[in-house]
Amino acid sequence: MEDHGWGSIIAAFLTQFWPVWLALVITFAVSIRYKRRLGLYGKLFDSNIGMIGFAIVMFWVFTAFFADMIVTHDTLSQISQMKNKSPGTVTPDGASWYILGGDHLGRDVFSRMVLGSRVVIQIAPMATVFAFMVGITLGLPAGYYGGKLDTVLSFLANLILAFPVILLFYLLVTPEMVQTGLPQYMAVVLFLFPLIFLIVLLNSRYYVRPDLRNMLIAGVILIGGWAYLALVSEPGSRVALLPKAMDFIALPGNILIVFVSVVFVNAPTVYRIIRGIVLDIKTRDYVAAAQTRGEGPWYIMLWEILPNARGPLIVDFCLRIGYTTILLGTLGFFGLGLSPESPDWGSTINAGRKLMSIAPHPAIVPALALMSLVLGLNLLADGLREESLRD
Amino acid sequence: MTKWDYDGPILEIENLSISFFTRLREIPAVMDFSCVVQPGEAMGLVGESGCGKSTVALAVMRDLGKNGRIVGGTIKFKGRDLTTMSEEELRDIRGSEIAMIYQEPMASLNPAMKIGKQLMEVPMIHEGISAEEAHKRALEVVADVRLPDPARILNSFPHQLSGGQQQRIVIAMALMSKPALLILDEPTTALDVTVEAAVVDLVKDLGEKYGTSMLFISHNLGLVLDTCNRLCVMYSGEAVETGSIADVFDKMQHPYTQALFRSIPLPGADKNSRPLVAIPGNFPLPHERPQGCNFGPRCDYFKDGICNVGDIKMHDIAGDDRHGSRCLRVDEIDWNAPLKAVKTAEKTPIGEVVLKMDDLRKYYEVSANKLFGGGDTKVVKANETLSFEAHEGETLAIVGESGCGKSTFAKVLMGLETATSGSIMLYGEDIQDTPIEKRSTETVSGVQMVFQNPFDTLNPSMTVGRQIIRALEIFGEGKSEEDRRNRMLELLDLVKLPREFAERMPRQLSGGQKQRVGIARAFAGGAKIVIADEPVSALDVSVQAAVTDLLMEIQRKNRTTLLFISHDLSIVRYLSDRVMVMYLGHVVELGSTDQVFSPPYHPYTEALLSAVPIADTKVQKKRVVLEGDIPSAMNPPPGCPFQTRCRWKSKVPGNKCESEMPPMVTLAEGHQIKCHLSDAELRSMEPVITIAAE
Repeated sequence: MEDHGWGSIIAAFLTQFWPVWLALVITFAVSIRYKRRLGLYGKLFDSNIGMIGFAIVMFWVFTAFFADMIVTHDTLSQISQMKNKSPGTVTPDGASWYILGGDHLGRDVFSRMVLGSRVVIQIAPMATVFAFMVGITLGLPAGYYGGKLDTVLSFLANLILAFPVILLFYLLVTPEMVQTGLPQYMAVVLFLFPLIFLIVLLNSRYYVRPDLRNMLIAGVILIGGWAYLALVSEPGSRVALLPKAMDFIALPGNILIVFVSVVFVNAPTVYRIIRGIVLDIKTRDYVAAAQTRGEGPWYIMLWEILPNARGPLIVDFCLRIGYTTILLGTLGFFGLGLSPESPDWGSTINAGRKLMSIAPHPAIVPALALMSLVLGLNLLADGLREESLRD
Repeated sequence: MTKWDYDGPILEIENLSISFFTRLREIPAVMDFSCVVQPGEAMGLVGESGCGKSTVALAVMRDLGKNGRIVGGTIKFKGRDLTTMSEEELRDIRGSEIAMIYQEPMASLNPAMKIGKQLMEVPMIHEGISAEEAHKRALEVVADVRLPDPARILNSFPHQLSGGQQQRIVIAMALMSKPALLILDEPTTALDVTVEAAVVDLVKDLGEKYGTSMLFISHNLGLVLDTCNRLCVMYSGEAVETGSIADVFDKMQHPYTQALFRSIPLPGADKNSRPLVAIPGNFPLPHERPQGCNFGPRCDYFKDGICNVGDIKMHDIAGDDRHGSRCLRVDEIDWNAPLKAVKTAEKTPIGEVVLKMDDLRKYYEVSANKLFGGGDTKVVKANETLSFEAHEGETLAIVGESGCGKSTFAKVLMGLETATSGSIMLYGEDIQDTPIEKRSTETVSGVQMVFQNPFDTLNPSMTVGRQIIRALEIFGEGKSEEDRRNRMLELLDLVKLPREFAERMPRQLSGGQKQRVGIARAFAGGAKIVIADEPVSALDVSVQAAVTDLLMEIQRKNRTTLLFISHDLSIVRYLSDRVMVMYLGHVVELGSTDQVFSPPYHPYTEALLSAVPIADTKVQKKRVVLEGDIPSAMNPPPGCPFQTRCRWKSKVPGNKCESEMPPMVTLAEGHQIKCHLSDAELRSMEPVITIAAE
């Protein structure tokens, strides 16, 4: 059977994504229909840049979600005749073809690219959320109290920011380091922040209604605590806090390290942003009003200041997912953290890099994917910023 | 070519209409606006916020931004139509022929450029004169705006000057090219009263000296009376009345102008016997203007079928000089009819002493370097020897300009700071050393505060109801969520807001409505003492009256002690029982309202009284203009704090003012002043404000 030409490749490429197109059309139709009632999200649909950015981001989100329906081949099965074959090559059995060709091991580039999005979409936003939690929990008191606390925390943040990132990653993943359990201990500390954050959040507001407060906090400690333990404990490693039967989140040690490093690197920047906003908002009269009616400092920080800082934070959140995506790519490229056969974009770019002159497509496809997602996130952040500034 | 000669009026605006275009709709900001400014004339543009007065000014400068557009009419400047000019021609005129002075002086000056350079730029660009000549002119103009030591001023950066001095520089800059028209957009709103008085005085004199025509935009009728020859009252995008000051102030021919005058506290108004009359209803939003007369729905003289039919044009009043009104029923209304009987109230009896401050002091230590310590520590004496009593059901006004220590005093009383020394007795209990966290819920809910800025007083991301319920929760009111909800709705009733507002977000409320929510929140725990920190100064005139009224009503009902902080002596005279005047952390005068407002005065009180603009042509004021600025609290003058600006200083023998802190002297029962002046001198003082016999 003859290999496929470019027209047929593009057609196949586009039709493979049909669930994504469908989902995108539905999302846009519904959002534009009700945009006046959707607040900032709705306003996004007034800006072309924002809409383009949102479309690109949602394209990858849906791709990650429907990846199993989109892929044409198993991402790990190798067909030796397909090594470094150009896009449109038919498989030896003649039954199917590689839309975007094969890589150096004869795997389908298209399917690997599609499945690679899943790694990014799963890890990047989650890791960013954790970075924000840590940054917020430290930035709020630093800005609110000022003084010595602020000086010490800001100094630490600067210290981390001044440390070379890549070197830090290398340090974290070296086997000697992993054996000491340091990355895991760091995870134990970092992942505790969301839990503390939630408990303080609820307690500061509901302490005046003890019944409700006790119920909510018990719920958080039970569910959140379990999730936390499941997340950090890994049977057989240094931190094995839970029996295997109860450990419902099996986070491979490597991913955990990726998580920790991303949080560790991003949290100081988030901390500085928060601190700056708090310095501004704490001079407002509604903060003074809360103080004069005897509210505790954490209520003021979490319920009076934080919600009003959301504008810049949302924008930064989008941008930061983009940075995290790049960071994940970098980690994969250096072979840090993720397993060698993982389809994530960074690792595939690295694998394709070696044969660049013979077969450029295995490296270019994931590179373009990575670039488009980050571009989409940046455009989305731009659109959000523009719209939040308008009337 | 920059300047040309023209005999006719400097500015002729004819049927000007301006709209702003948003995504959703076209918003008409100004409709059918006409006015004429003759050479040497000062025209006042008065109205509440959102009435379009600043838009008119910006249109004259052709600086409406990308959303704004002139959709009809012409603006003729010295006979040339500005609306059709090219950008290049406009650039030529701006700054040289038409100059503008804005509200915030710091925002009008380039912080990275020396004053001299900024001033010299103007004539160098517009007239192409040499740097030396420009420098010479800058020196002259700076001397003209009465700044001391012009050479030093020219060599300094904007941040090295005080607010008042900065505004003088902005005025100097506007005059550098001897413009034909000067537009002043609320030039003194950001300044203190005594500084404002001096700047207004200056503007008036310079207008005469340079022969400049002026367009003076203000919300303050008193200020317009002091500065302008003619005025134009605007309401919701339209001019409703225009004419000479005398005509409009004394023979007003539009219901809105009348209502405006009835809602401002003029001398003679009294909270019990002659209360203010608030204008009912709210200012219409630009896209919700009613059919016919914009003021119709709020007007006492509204007649169905006449006022709400078609567009209403401006028409002249026969017999007056260029006096026009946009009211169809001018001839049917009896303008001299006395005010319909308004609700008067009994004077609230004054009760026991609830709050007693004795020799309270609050010092702050400011060190130069926070991180590593070291450097000189300076002491800011924010409050010095503060002693007074406040009674149940009484309104005690605390008057003073910025930096006088009134906010620090409020903080100490609320427990956000603890006192350095002295005592605060609240219901016989010492609280000066108890920070708010250690105070009992009862004490905290008993002393509450109403804040100044309505746009800042509510948390923008929480519903109105939720915020009041939160205060109830904290004060331990109500047993269940249901209880508190009901109590919250009652509080909304108390401040006369519809119950639906519970579900609204603060941004959906107007300034006055937000301030009412702030009041409801303060009274959530049944407050006994309420500190009102300039609660109405940021509100529009017509709303001020309503909010003041509400505060008085709640006070009568709950027998609350109201500590009313303000710099506006008109409103203080209207509603307070006793007045305390503060200057640089000291109480300089304390007494009943009558005692403080009539001689003998403390010299500072005298200046303050003279500085407050009063919108009444019958009032004669003695002019006492204070020179200089308020000294910094970080570096107070030796002796009497007021001695640097006092005009009576020479009357005290032996340099006592500069070396000795004057003692508190009791002049009459309950009237104390802190001054070295002898009894005879004090008795020789004349009243500052006299009302001419009708």
